[in-house]
Formats: sequence, C-alpha cells, structure tokens
Amino acid sequence: MKEFEYYKPSTLNEASEILSKYKEEACIFNGGTDLIVRMRDEMTKPKVVVNIKEIEKLHEISYEKEKWISIGACVTLNELSKCKMISEKYKILTDAIHNIGSIQLRNLATMIGNICNASPLADSATPLLVLDAKAVIFGADGVRKVLVKEFIAGVRRTDLKIGEIVVAIEVPIYEKSIVGSFHKISRRKMVDLSTVCGTVAKVNGEIRIALGAVSPTPVRALRTEEYLKGKILEAEIIKGAEEKVVEDISPITDIRASKEYRIDMAKLIVKRGLMHLRDSELKWGEQSEA
Amino acid sequence: MSKVKHKISFVLNYEKTEHYVKPNTTLLNMLREDFDLTGAKEGCGAGECGACTTLFNNKAVNACLVLAIEVDKAEIITIEGLSKGRELDELQESFIDNAALQCGYCTPGMIMSAKALLNRNSKPTENEIKEAISGNLCRCTGYKKIVEAISSVATRNDKKESMNAQKGGDTE
Ligand SMILES: Cc1cc2nc3c(=O)[nH]c(=O)nc-3n(C[C@H](O)[C@H](O)[C@H](O)COP(=O)(O)OP(=O)(O)OC[C@H]3O[C@@H](n4cnc5c(N)ncnc54)[C@H](O)[C@@H]3O)c2cc1C
Ligand code: FES
Ligand code: FES
Repeated sequence: MKEFEYYKPSTLNEASEILSKYKEEACIFNGGTDLIVRMRDEMTKPKVVVNIKEIEKLHEISYEKEKWISIGACVTLNELSKCKMISEKYKILTDAIHNIGSIQLRNLATMIGNICNASPLADSATPLLVLDAKAVIFGADGVRKVLVKEFIAGVRRTDLKIGEIVVAIEVPIYEKSIVGSFHKISRRKMVDLSTVCGTVAKVNGEIRIALGAVSPTPVRALRTEEYLKGKILEAEIIKGAEEKVVEDISPITDIRASKEYRIDMAKLIVKRGLMHLRDSELKWGEQSEA
Repeated sequence: MSKVKHKISFVLNYEKTEHYVKPNTTLLNMLREDFDLTGAKEGCGAGECGACTTLFNNKAVNACLVLAIEVDKAEIITIEGLSKGRELDELQESFIDNAALQCGYCTPGMIMSAKALLNRNSKPTENEIKEAISGNLCRCTGYKKIVEAISSVATRNDKKESMNAQKGGDTE
C-alpha cells in the first residue's frame, strides 16, 4: 500500500473542504473493505484519505413518518440488519445485505460504500432500485437527492462531483407492505461475489424487477415490468417474462461466468421471483383483489 | 497532518497502549510486526479467509481490512488476549479436547469468530455456529470438529445456566 495523508474530520463541512482542496487525489474512506483491497493492490493510489466515520450523524438511521427511512452513510451492514424497522418494511434489502461477504466484513462494510463503489454486482443495489431509493448528497452548494438508479452512472462511476459526500440513502415508506424476494447466484454461499443477483417485488401494486451483474450497472428490467402490467402470474406469463428479460440485459463473459450462463441465471431469477410473488399472493389472497 | 507517523491510544488485550503508526499500515501488520502478536495470520490479506479475525470493540473483523490508525480510542482483543497467563480460555481448551485443528493456521481466527459469537449469544445452535464461522476458511479439518468444539462450550454454558437457575442463582 502506497503512503497517503490521513484526515479524520468531525463535520461534513470540514470533510467537503478537504475533498475540494485535494480533488481527484483524495478518496473517501468509509468501511474501507473495498478501498483497502484496492489500495493494497495499488489499483487506487490516493494521496489523501478522508475517513468520514468520525462524523456522528452519519451513523444514524432515522425516519419521517409515512415518507421515508434514512440510512446514514456509516451504518455498517450488520447494524442495518439488526434494525427491526428495516427488516420489517424491506425484507428484500435485509436479505440482500445478509448475502454480502462474511460477518467480519459486514461489521466493517457499509451499504453506502457498496453503492458508491458502483460495481455492477453490488448486492444491495437491486433492492434499492426496486424501492426507488435516493442517495442524499452533501456538497459545497448544499444537499441534493438523486435516485440510486441515476446515481450509479457506470462501472465504478457515480454521479458524485468533487467535494461531495453521500450522507445517507433514503428509502420511501410504502403504504402496502412489500412482497418480494432477493436472489443471489454465486459459486459459494458465503464470501463470494454475485455471478448474477436480482430482486423481484411488488411495490405500490406494480411488479418491479432489478438485476445485477448483467449490465455495466445494476438495472431495472423495465421491458419485462411493462410486459407484466395487468397480467396474472400464470405459468405461461412467467415463461414470457423469462424470455422478455433477455431484452433488458447486456451481460458479458468474465472470470466468474460466461454471457450465456448469466442470461440463463437472469431468467431463472425472474422465474423464481415471480413464482414467489404468485405463491405469496395466493397465500394472502391478493390475486382476487388485483 | 502528513505522511509521518500518527499517535494512537487504544486498549490492546486489556492494556492501555500508545503507539505511532503510518496511515498505510493495516491493523494486522501492526499487531504482527510492531507488537509481535503473531496469532492473527495473513492468509489472503483481502478479507477472504478470516485467518486475521480480531475483536474490534467486541466485534469480529478482518484485521487486514482495518487501518491501524482507525483503532485510536478503540479496544482490540487478539487470540493472545484470551488466555489468562498459562490458563487457556474455554474455547482454546475445547479446540484441543475435540482435536479441532490440524495445521493450526486457521485456528486463531476460528476461535476469535467463535468468541465473538459466544459473547453475543452464549447458547448458539449448530446453524448459528456454522454461520458465525462461515467467513473463516480451513483447508485441513473439514469443519466438523471445529463446530463440535464450539458446540461443546455452548452446551456447557447451557448446563451452567440451568444449574444456576435450579439453584435459584443469577443467570446473567
Ligand atoms: C472479501 C470480500 C467480500 C465481499 N463480498 C461482497 C459481496 O458479497 N457483495 C457485494 O456487493 N460486495 C462485496 N464486497 C465488496 C465490499 O465489501 C462492499 O462493496 C462494501 O459494502 C463496501 O462498503 P465500505 O463501507 O467498506 O466501502 P469503502 O471501501 O469505504 O468505499 C468504497 C467506495 O465508495 C466510496 N465511498 C464510500 N462511502 C462514501 C460516501 N459516503 N460518499 C461518497 N463516496 C463514498 C469510497 O471512496 C470508495 O471508492 C466484498 C469485499 C471483500 C473484500
Ligand atoms: S488475511 Fe484477513 S481475511 Fe485473509
Ligand atoms: S487446521 Fe489447517 S487450515 Fe484449519
């Protein structure tokens, strides 16, 4: 690991000033689980590292009644899993998080780090996409909010500008409870990255699907969602959705899997996810309501 | 603030400690190189194997994914901090009794993961034990005896508690 200067500001203003001063040479350090490995391998060589964990309010989980739950940037994945409000309202998110790395890793890593890292396979991204979550960004000009969908701009690229910090992720609170499932296809159950991952859920009465590791960024399968509008989840329709999802993705072949395998797994996730929706709707008797 | 060494104060294996570190030193390197605490191992150096598992404010973490400078004001416990003098911790005894090690490389990390588990849940189920050590890789044992070693400490805790309860004692 190359040498760097280390800062540990205790306010957002201070952190933003340091980041603005050193521009591309500075790096935000959160849980550090991505960054330390990258610095060790010298894939990232920052001159300045800004640890944001001393900023107290970044450790909070807060909510505004009937509007949103806000998850602070430095809340670790294990802290987040323990939060009852989150696991009750957004089980798909807790399930996704539980699939990241190991217990040791989740005691360090954060969800905001997972999103800011902007990997196509980030496990927390697909539930956040179907939930229409927003990144809350602090900068010299104040605070702005961007949908996670737009925030992740490309492979390892985000919408962040110099001097900006993601302070939280805001998840809308929905009137109806969310039914859905998170799926991760990987070689091993633990400590392995997703070959393909995805979330299929009913949010606000709509079926929403998001997939990871099949495009430069985690994506919503909008064509498939459109196809499913107003349809009852019979076997034939599910089969149709599996075919449709191929149009929503553009997977590549890499060390983890071939393009063809990824397409098959994306179809499988759509199938399993829709079957889970169908079964839980039968259970709750919602099918007749729709 | 510069690239020179920074002063950190922390509690290492129950002793107050002051130390000077460079920002680019990991906790694992500091423990091994500066304090000669070589229990924690560097298997992969990238969070994958768990051989470096250490308790950071009572939580199990990969010491290779923590900067030494981050432990300022924190409490660190390594495998060396478990025994009292020559008296081993019950987990260490149990690993020996159950022959839960072969080459021993993964053992300190395994025991620290198990310790963190028992600290938060003194009577874990077998599945909870398996989950707790799922971030620790062992190339030799096949895990069975490791799970048994941890289970037998958990069962003992359970017995102790029910005996205390029968005596009307404090179960805490
Ligand atoms: C062994 C191992 C296993 C892993 N397994 C998985 C897995 O199963 N699934 C998965 O998705 N990922 C996995 N990861 C990747 C990683 O652990 C996660 O992406 C983690 O959530 C990153 O969070 P962090 O807080 O540690 O980020 P950091 O390393 O601190 O930061 C990551 C990036 O985000 C930036 N950043 C962080 N916080 C902010 C902020 N508030 N504002 C702006 N920028 C910010 C940093 O500058 C950096 O570029 C694994 C990593 C390792 C080492
Ligand atoms: S050396 Fe830290 S996890 Fe392998
Ligand atoms: S005993 Fe050899 S690696 Fe576990």
